[in-house]
Amino acid sequence: MAKVIGIVNLHEDVNYAELTERRPAASVSFLGRYAIVDFVLSNLSNSGIDRVGVLIQNKPRSIVKHLGGGTSWNLNQKRGGLSILYNEKYAGATKYNHDLNNLKENIAFLKGAKADIAVIAPSHIINTLNYADVVEAHEKAGAEITMVYSKINNAKEEFIGSDILKIKDGKVVSIDVNRGTAKSRDVSLDTYVINVSTLEMIMKKAKNVSAFFSLKDMLKYLLDEKVIHVYQYKGYVKNIDSLEAYYETSLGLIDVVNNSQVFKSNWPIYTNTNDTPPTKYLKNSSVVSSFVANGAIVDGTVERSIIGREVKIGKGAVVKNCIMLTGSSVEAGAVLENVIVDKHAIVTAKNDLHGDVNQPLLIKEGDIV
Amino acid sequence: MSKEIVGMILAGGRGSRLYALTAKVAKPVVPFGGKYRIIDFPLSNCANSGVDVVGLPTQYESVLLGQYVGSGTKWGLDGDQSKAVNLPARERGDGVGFTSYAGTADAIYQNIDFLDQYDPKYIVILSGDHIYKMDYSEMLAEHKANNADLTVAVLNVTLEEAKRFGIMNVKEDGKTIYEFEEKPAEPKSTLASMGIYIFTYKELKKYLIADAKDKESKHDFGMDIIPAMLNDGKRLMAWRFDGYWKDVGTVESLWQANMDLLNDTDLDLYNEKKDWKIYTEDTLGTPQQIGADAKISNSMITQGCIVDGEVSGSVIFSNVKIGKDAKVIDSVLMPGVLVEEGAEIYKAIVDENYTVKMNEVINKEAKEVALVSKNG
Repeated sequence: MAKVIGIVNLHEDVNYAELTERRPAASVSFLGRYAIVDFVLSNLSNSGIDRVGVLIQNKPRSIVKHLGGGTSWNLNQKRGGLSILYNEKYAGATKYNHDLNNLKENIAFLKGAKADIAVIAPSHIINTLNYADVVEAHEKAGAEITMVYSKINNAKEEFIGSDILKIKDGKVVSIDVNRGTAKSRDVSLDTYVINVSTLEMIMKKAKNVSAFFSLKDMLKYLLDEKVIHVYQYKGYVKNIDSLEAYYETSLGLIDVVNNSQVFKSNWPIYTNTNDTPPTKYLKNSSVVSSFVANGAIVDGTVERSIIGREVKIGKGAVVKNCIMLTGSSVEAGAVLENVIVDKHAIVTAKNDLHGDVNQPLLIKEGDIV
Repeated sequence: MSKEIVGMILAGGRGSRLYALTAKVAKPVVPFGGKYRIIDFPLSNCANSGVDVVGLPTQYESVLLGQYVGSGTKWGLDGDQSKAVNLPARERGDGVGFTSYAGTADAIYQNIDFLDQYDPKYIVILSGDHIYKMDYSEMLAEHKANNADLTVAVLNVTLEEAKRFGIMNVKEDGKTIYEFEEKPAEPKSTLASMGIYIFTYKELKKYLIADAKDKESKHDFGMDIIPAMLNDGKRLMAWRFDGYWKDVGTVESLWQANMDLLNDTDLDLYNEKKDWKIYTEDTLGTPQQIGADAKISNSMITQGCIVDGEVSGSVIFSNVKIGKDAKVIDSVLMPGVLVEEGAEIYKAIVDENYTVKMNEVINKEAKEVALVSKNG
């Protein structure tokens, strides 16, 4: 049986405005109790992959703290484990700070793992893909490279800037960029199953093509000489590539039709524990259609919102269509609609804040307003 | 490795007054407070007090307890010099053979080999069924300052309550114990023993060895060891504790202690002081999913729950589902309970994984606390 390793690729060109000012998108809090990266890590863990490297592009503090030793995703076994792959040499050199250079800089990880196949996936495309199925199809087809894609019907609004594939007989014919010109597209999930020997070949070859080329660029470049197979993922998928997408995806998951595709009893989403007590709903609380994490104390009205860990909502406060991140608070009587309140920010009593449904108002980490 | 102090949590009791709740598990792993188990409290207290080697003599239904405690990782007791160890009664060498723990003192006596490994100066002995936050290092400091052989943590109770406790009668200095009375009809003092002891290990060991040889002894700290030490004129001191403390040995007291979390902020479960978390297992639940028809007030709810009904004055554990038009009033729902649409529950403890059927009504009169369980 082939030995498979996972590589979480955080060299993703996504940001969520001020939410990613001091942290990568991967460690942004999600649905009250997770971080974005928990989904890809849980997928790897649930797929039976126990050795994972995380390619970190920048702002490592919060993601390194979140990942710890990988225990929370069952990645701490004596066999297997979690490795942080950080390319310090190019930390400040944007053009050079790409996944292939990071892998090269941390070649000890690939060499040490002695694996046959690598599963490479980003963190910001939320799905519940079983990589074991992809690997099986990859091996069965005798493929060197398999690209995972989804058929979507709203390509005019979502996955803008993502790769779109033209496919024939299970193979990629061409790769283009989604410019939002058609509704129905086969979009790449930037998720690849690739033989390690092929990956090493690509890393070597990249030197002679362009020092700026990432894996994605190289795959496009190699399309003329290499056969790239495809695997269609048919489940729930969202590309959280902007603050607006983060907001829309988060609130959208409150609906049971969406969250039942993500929260499945045979596919746990792991995260690290914080030992926070249950949430306390006080006498004046009125909470409907919301996700609530632990440790919160609620005495106000909450509607269609996501309440993170240790959030405080004072008496008579109204929170509607909002995302409140860890430790933030809304004092008594304040009104918030379409607002994202970052960690530990405080909205004082007199506020009456309204964002736009499509463009939420963002209160920055630790700010008092 | 040598340790100044080692903790021993007596976790072997059956807890028969919790009836069905302890049909298959030891009392210390009975769920408490929405996401905890009772044993999380003494174990977290140990971890936060710097007592980082903890032994747990277990006996009654010790499998789940042992599995829960593991090596102590949940409480951070998992460093190179730190651990929690399950100590079930065992088959002993030296021709002794299979043993059980005859009493609280015997449970420690039979683990002298465990304790000796750490060459401790002091031992703190705790119960596995009390809910409280206590800094044992403060008690230890007092024990040392008093040059005591034994320090007993005491709680000042009312004269009426004193009749139900082991009472420490103290001299005029307010702390030197001269007499111990178990459930006195006419209490002379209101200082109730909390079953929390710090012994100077050298002394304790002497008394345990002597007690083990005594055929008449019940091998109990309260009945045998403490009276013997008093008799010998040893230095026994009372150390007053004035925080929240509750023995959750009965269905009524377990229910009440859960309700206290809603009304009483003494316990500071929310750790406002930021220095004393109660650690526990992670149950891997999703965030709480509160539905469009939910109505929740004065309650505690934890991750993994899906709530679409009315919840008031209740403590809801992980992975509980409460359907539309259901009512949960003044109740404790343990992990995995399913309350189907239209069901009503009043003043009850509903045991793990129990299903309350559609439109079923439980304990509408709500006089006594009802206990509902698959285990009868």
